[in-house]
Amino acid sequence: MSVRSREQIVQDLANLLHEFNGKEYSGNIGAKTLFFGDLGMVSIDAVILAEMLERFYNRSFPFSQFLSTIGRQGMRDIEIGELAMFLHANMSSSGDEV
Amino acid sequence: MPMTALKGLRFHYQQKGDGEDVVLLHAVTSNMSMWLFSNLMDVIAQDFRVTAYDLRGHGASDVPASGYTSADMAQDLHDLYRALKLGPAVLVGHSFGAVVAMHAAVLFPDIVRGLILSDPYFPGLAHLEPNLAEMQAWRDVRDALVGAGVALDEEINFTQLFWSVAALTSTQKEHIGRIMGESSLRWLSQLPRLAPTTCGRDVFAPAGLSAERICEVRQPVVALYDEHTSFQATRKFLQTNLSNIQVEIVPGARHVAPLQNTAAFVQLVQKYSRALHGQVLVPSSVPRESVLIKADAEVIDENGPGLRLGKPTNQESRK
Repeated sequence: MSVRSREQIVQDLANLLHEFNGKEYSGNIGAKTLFFGDLGMVSIDAVILAEMLERFYNRSFPFSQFLSTIGRQGMRDIEIGELAMFLHANMSSSGDEV
Repeated sequence: MPMTALKGLRFHYQQKGDGEDVVLLHAVTSNMSMWLFSNLMDVIAQDFRVTAYDLRGHGASDVPASGYTSADMAQDLHDLYRALKLGPAVLVGHSFGAVVAMHAAVLFPDIVRGLILSDPYFPGLAHLEPNLAEMQAWRDVRDALVGAGVALDEEINFTQLFWSVAALTSTQKEHIGRIMGESSLRWLSQLPRLAPTTCGRDVFAPAGLSAERICEVRQPVVALYDEHTSFQATRKFLQTNLSNIQVEIVPGARHVAPLQNTAAFVQLVQKYSRALHGQVLVPSSVPRESVLIKADAEVIDENGPGLRLGKPTNQESRK
């Protein structure tokens, strides 16, 4: 099996986020969806999502580096496509097959 | 998510790295995400096993109705320490997290190797800070809520704040979001679950951590005070009365150094975590407070004795 594409990762994220940590989101989740602004998530949800993704893909990611970029930019929002790109880049660089 | 049950309450935590232990304690109304958004977790994990957790009532940990004093939370820390089988740890606490860390050093000295405290205010030293309500962070929050038509006391009243936020209308939230920014609105949205608890009152209770008890602390203490701190009197008290303290100033910060000057904060915590665990120290970036380390792991200030590392003794005299 090959490394998951960015589009597949966006779909993985959508599946995880429709019902996440006690929150339900019935709208469409795509690459342009905003983690905080559209999905109503808060800071701790980013930590929980990171933990879920590591379990889901059975590997670790440098989430702290990713999130600190968000922190340096004044805690701006996270596009799902941007998160997918980060996950894809890390899976690709380590040659992970999922 | 990783959880551990302590006396019937579930605590959310993360661990990373190997080696001696560093534990991160966030502020009241915050959560452990602060350590990921600042990248501190990964940086410290390069040298140590670092543990971060959500205090009771915060983040993804359980929200009990009571038990939010620094003594209660120091007991939680002690229980977590035992459950995770940690070794003597450097405790890094921001704001109220620093109060919990100090209280743990008083109640459970054997589990604390040293303390790194970020801009703390101690309820037991409240007499030194009579103008607490002038603290800029409180003024900013209060002004935004009052501007949205919320009635809030001049004095800091967390319980009232929690209930007021729980009752905000969508129009009021929009107003506050415009004034404070969306990230602050997200922070506020996490407060209502604390409203029915004793948290708002408990965190201002000395709970036994009096000036006298603070002065008894023998572990090395690093106090990172923000350049624009509201707690200068507390800083001076600690500097004068603790037997083994080093003070550093975080440029540009005004109570939330981990996010307001992340680079300097992370660098200082990394440097002093290494120093307190007896590793080699890099020269400070803050000239006046810069420290050197000698081969016998004694840290000395350019102007005289500074941190003394290793196990403190009863013979050590107070300055």
